[in-house]
Amino acid sequence: MCPAINEAKGMLYGLLDNTGVIVIYLDISGNIIFCNKKTEKLTGLGHEDIIGANWLKVLYRGDNSIIKQDMFRAVLDECVKNKREKDFEGIILDSDRNERIISWNLTPVLTANSQVEANILIGHDITKIREAGNSAKNIDQTLKDILSSLKEYALYVTNLEGNITYFGMGSEIMLGWNKKEIVFKHADILHNNDSIENKLDFILEQVRSLGKYEKETSLITKSGDAVSVILTANKFLDSEGKHLGYIFIAKDISERRKLEYQAFQSEKLAALGLLSAGIAHEINNPLLVISGRSALLMKEKLDQKIINDLDLIGSQAERIQKMVDRILKFAQKTKPSFEPVDVNEAIEFILPFAQYSNLPDIKVEIIKDLAKDIPMVKGDMHQLQEVFLNLIINAYQSMPKGGIIKITTGSLNNLFALIQIKDTGIGIPAENLKDVFMPFYTTKNDGKGLGLSICHNIIKNHNGSIELDSQLGQGSTFTIKLPFI
Amino acid sequence: MLYKVLVVDDEVPVRDLLNDLLRREDCGVSTCGSGEDALEILKKDSFDVVLLDIKLPGMSGLEVLKNIRDTDKNLPVIMITGFGYNEDLISKSKEFGCSGYIGKNMPVAQIITTFKQFAKNAKVGEEPAK
Repeated sequence: MCPAINEAKGMLYGLLDNTGVIVIYLDISGNIIFCNKKTEKLTGLGHEDIIGANWLKVLYRGDNSIIKQDMFRAVLDECVKNKREKDFEGIILDSDRNERIISWNLTPVLTANSQVEANILIGHDITKIREAGNSAKNIDQTLKDILSSLKEYALYVTNLEGNITYFGMGSEIMLGWNKKEIVFKHADILHNNDSIENKLDFILEQVRSLGKYEKETSLITKSGDAVSVILTANKFLDSEGKHLGYIFIAKDISERRKLEYQAFQSEKLAALGLLSAGIAHEINNPLLVISGRSALLMKEKLDQKIINDLDLIGSQAERIQKMVDRILKFAQKTKPSFEPVDVNEAIEFILPFAQYSNLPDIKVEIIKDLAKDIPMVKGDMHQLQEVFLNLIINAYQSMPKGGIIKITTGSLNNLFALIQIKDTGIGIPAENLKDVFMPFYTTKNDGKGLGLSICHNIIKNHNGSIELDSQLGQGSTFTIKLPFI
Repeated sequence: MLYKVLVVDDEVPVRDLLNDLLRREDCGVSTCGSGEDALEILKKDSFDVVLLDIKLPGMSGLEVLKNIRDTDKNLPVIMITGFGYNEDLISKSKEFGCSGYIGKNMPVAQIITTFKQFAKNAKVGEEPAK
């Protein structure tokens, strides 16, 4: 052979042996005529074991998967038949019996008259690339799973202009917006504009200048309600530190707020109970002396005028005693205990008390229409009195110019006691009717908005219902139904 | 004499009033202003009924009651209090073995009739309330 050809052949072999790809030369039946070093290294077989052997035996050494072998065979047949190269992927076992993913290219070698005389098989080990790709895919999916599992947190992302680019599952639940309808909208619609500190512009400015924003605030839901949240905002940066937008995380704390208010209310009531017990004790002793002494004096032989005055002193002292007694009974927050309760008695008991509840100085007429002989309901006397008192006070407060409160009791189908408290006050707009029993709903400047929600809870615990019917400018009617024993 | 009564109350006007009211009902009355004094008096003298205020300086009325019950299971002891009708105090008093419970918030006439009722029940030999 010509030395130049020999040299070229040597160079070619050197090139093939040093390349990172598998190179195999096959005859049309799939027997190996030539292979490079990479093939030997990957399969762990010697040159002499490979040459002359069938390619499937070499590449599928120890792997009995007929399907894989059939696929390779089909590829070879197709190549030979169509005289066209073919790319395909397959998994083979390496010398350590680890699976390797190989991207193959099978190219038929044609004679001058276009007959297939052999095939060149080139394989590129893409295992590492594929694994890296898979883990990237996995991280992406995992991240998505994590984000959609955070149902308690509203997580949303905006671009630099404040337009929403991501809206997490928790955000949909908390804020009522669907991802599709809110993405690309400006995040301003979620933020409360009641004060400068809650405005989106202010928040973004804080994040830009301080790097972070965290505050107890409220967000606005699609239906316009406010949700109490702890809101955290941060810059959204890519891996190179480029500022892409803002990330917002909000934790709903309305339930906690509600509990805090309720705890506060019960603490206040407990304190009031203690205080009134102490005061009542201090008042009862001197009152007893006043009424007792006047009673004793009345038994003396005295002028009738003096007897009358003593009688007055005694009866007025007793009046104070009864009042103190009521305060004590009302303030003693005993555990709820269910017993037969006469709703008429509960109302009669609480009525005089309502007048001492720091009410506006207005002229109010109370009309009672209490049905006689209605059966008892099963309930907690103190709690039911609290409900009636609350509703009566509410009625007073809704009539700044005075008016009429009508209290009606009756029976509904012999199943429920029906209690109606109707006022001729300012009424409540129809759109607010659904909210009145929600905690914190209030139209009063100094109100906590808990009175009606407490009423609602108490009635619910009594397996009853409370409804409000109201017309703006004409008045409101609360209707309570409580099951008979 | 209907009953020989020991009235224990730290407030002089109340003590004097109860004294006068009970004397009018033909009771023999001794008074004192503390639980410690009451226990001393009871050691020396015998009574039909003790009318015992719950809120006393030093030893409380409930402690006095407990002390009495340690030595005398049958002496009628009626608790009286300015706290009015208080379920906790009533149940505590009953637990310690009182014979009755009167609120100072009751009208005077009612206080006397209630006292007589409890004293009568206790005296005819009914078991003291447990």
